[in-house]
Amino acid sequence: MKIIVNGKETIIKDESRNLLEALRDVGIEIPNLCYLSETSIYGACRMCLVEIDGQIMTSCSIKPYEGMNVKTHTPEIYEMRRGILELILASHNRDCPTCDRNGNCKLQRYAEEFGIRKIRFDKLDKSNIIDYSSIIIRDNSKCILCGDCVRVCDEVQSIGAIDFAFRGFEAQVMPAFGENLSTTNCVLCGQCVAHCPTGALTFRNDLQKVYNAMKSGKYVIGMMAPAVRASIQEELGMENDIVTAGRIVNFLKTIGFKKVFDVAFAADLVAYEEAHEFKERLEKGERLPQFTSCCPGWVKFAEHNYPEFLKNLSTIKSPQQALGTIIKKFYSKEIGVNPEDIFVVSIMPCTAKKFEAERDELSGEVDAVITTKELSQLIRSSGFNLKNIPPLPFDRPYGLSSQAGLSFGKTGGVFGSVLKVLEKDLQITEIKTQELEKGIRFTVATTKDGKEIKGIVVFGLGNTKKIIDSIKKGNLNVDIVEVMACDYGCIGGGGQPYPNDTKARTKRAEILSEVVGIDVLISPNENYHMLSLYEKYLEKPLSHKSHEILHTRYKNRKRIKNGDIEILPLPISEKEKTTVKVCLGTSCYSKGSYKILSELVELVNKEDWAKNVEIMGTFCVENCGKSPNVVVNDKIISEATPEKIKEELMKNVKK
Amino acid sequence: MERTFEKVEEILKKHGYEKKNLIKILLDVQKKYRHIPKEVVNYLSVALDIPPAKIFGVATFYAQFSLKPKGEYTILICDGTACHMEGSMKLVSAIEEELGIKPGEVTQDLKFSLDKVGCLGACALAPAMVINGEVYGNLTPEKTKEILRNIKKGDDK
Repeated sequence: MKIIVNGKETIIKDESRNLLEALRDVGIEIPNLCYLSETSIYGACRMCLVEIDGQIMTSCSIKPYEGMNVKTHTPEIYEMRRGILELILASHNRDCPTCDRNGNCKLQRYAEEFGIRKIRFDKLDKSNIIDYSSIIIRDNSKCILCGDCVRVCDEVQSIGAIDFAFRGFEAQVMPAFGENLSTTNCVLCGQCVAHCPTGALTFRNDLQKVYNAMKSGKYVIGMMAPAVRASIQEELGMENDIVTAGRIVNFLKTIGFKKVFDVAFAADLVAYEEAHEFKERLEKGERLPQFTSCCPGWVKFAEHNYPEFLKNLSTIKSPQQALGTIIKKFYSKEIGVNPEDIFVVSIMPCTAKKFEAERDELSGEVDAVITTKELSQLIRSSGFNLKNIPPLPFDRPYGLSSQAGLSFGKTGGVFGSVLKVLEKDLQITEIKTQELEKGIRFTVATTKDGKEIKGIVVFGLGNTKKIIDSIKKGNLNVDIVEVMACDYGCIGGGGQPYPNDTKARTKRAEILSEVVGIDVLISPNENYHMLSLYEKYLEKPLSHKSHEILHTRYKNRKRIKNGDIEILPLPISEKEKTTVKVCLGTSCYSKGSYKILSELVELVNKEDWAKNVEIMGTFCVENCGKSPNVVVNDKIISEATPEKIKEELMKNVKK
Repeated sequence: MERTFEKVEEILKKHGYEKKNLIKILLDVQKKYRHIPKEVVNYLSVALDIPPAKIFGVATFYAQFSLKPKGEYTILICDGTACHMEGSMKLVSAIEEELGIKPGEVTQDLKFSLDKVGCLGACALAPAMVINGEVYGNLTPEKTKEILRNIKKGDDK
């Protein structure tokens, strides 16, 4: 298509989503604060105004047409954009030097580019809500209401933990009822952080913990995820460097880390164990499809939303937690250091990994998780120029990794590794993959005797929801599903450098592919340091010992926070009454808990023996696998029916 | 107040348990309960599979919805330009004297609630107020008190 841009004929792509993207493709980046190519078009910030055939319009919300006459940077448009910036800045908390986004904030950048020094309008302090309840920190005084976080959380991730509330001057982004984020079903994937153009959404910085550990003389061991070595270059001006991992190893040891291991080693281990678990399930035909479990955002998502599939998740820990355990349990003995004196620092592209390390059943295995961004701060604040530091290999024994383990950093890596491990065993002769849509790939692996193993690789939790819904409806029949919460896998994690968009992510995928390509080991089966772990400690895959060390468990989690609700309250003392609580959470509701509730109300109103029964409602007792649930006094009656409850009540009722 | 969710289920049924009917459903909830209770928001979230944050957003966006209970009699005092010039703020004080509530509040017995609104479109009758849909115009503080006393009396009978 031919359009006229600033007086010049310009050829643009016919299928461009909007004028903004079309111009971006020909090298003109129109300023914008609320446009994301990954979500629906919002058109709120008005920064992308351009002149089209003499009229001022937003370039994000208009489709290009043949012969369109566009002016992108007239004095009028410049004035308008400046005005918009001034208005936004008038109600923005401008504590820039102490803001987490200092130096890589989109709003700050525009303020600089447009040379804004004075703001004509009075300073208007809007909200002062700061929510430190989880590892994702919300500071509404820095929010410009662009809605990027709201759309990413809802449209891409299908969670909707936060949304706009109130209107006009009072408008703010928050969870329902202004609750803390920690009480919601947020999975801490950090995609809101990744797309926030200001410092309104950031994550908890844990670097001080690392310094404190070094100061107190702990034996500090670092371990680094595959995706970090494909993205930190962006922060350090080292484009295309593929030996960054080695440089980081050298750097960390220079500043006092005793050992630096590779999480890709643990990825080999996880793939090896998980492949055997998959093979066993295939043979027994149970708990299929098997879902991968190394993405902590996905695990939490499953715990909130899919209680019926928790048993399908691979029970193996993530590479981070597996390596943490091995260091504390085995390596400590090998080097003769008390596990309590070891401090394991995990370097991750991910915000949810911070949450994972603090899960009750896993805590103590990894002591601090720092993201790619925090590692970059650690490097820059130390004054080193990473470019000038020669690479060193990772420490042995947990420093060796195969191509399979390294590819855990991007979508498809885990599934590919599992197949690699089983390739010989199952005599796989052919693997065919097709992309069903962006973020969903379908693979069929055929064995020598003609059996087919079907797998889905999916990224984005919205896509995941689609896949699970198809599985539930019986429209999709697969044996294994790999889920990564973030677009393109870990390389798109919430702890990665800004900008963290599709363009940056595809570039990272290319770098990681090169890093993978030069690795001499192909399959986890070739990783002899990993195999010797089995010889020394774990015996064989799925052994009792390996279950004890490498496997974990999951739990049901509430989606909604609400206290108990009085339905038929009884104003008599606790001693005299029997309390029945009917769960009205999603799982129980869909299995008919409302019907149970209404039958109970009827029973209590009608039958005299039940007059001292108090009825309450509750949102989720976290036993969703056996819904509907009803609690009589403090006892949970699962898979409840009105008859079951009546029977229990008759036993309990106080006359 | 007894909350069996029976009313909510009726409302949901009436609107086919459909997401797209959220605003209609909330209007009916507002009518039945005279506000949008928190547990009803959460219940709707479960039943309609809409995140509670989104329902909260809708419920706080539109002036028709209130998260706090409204009175059995909802008084809307017009504070548009015409009414403001004719002394609507004096009416607000008169109501406060009579009922002890300020705009945005509700009496303890949940009988009356008071809200200030932009314009009721009854400028010719300024200053004006609306109680449960009925317009009262050309008000004075004394007349306003009188109207409220009559309502109270009528209810006591």
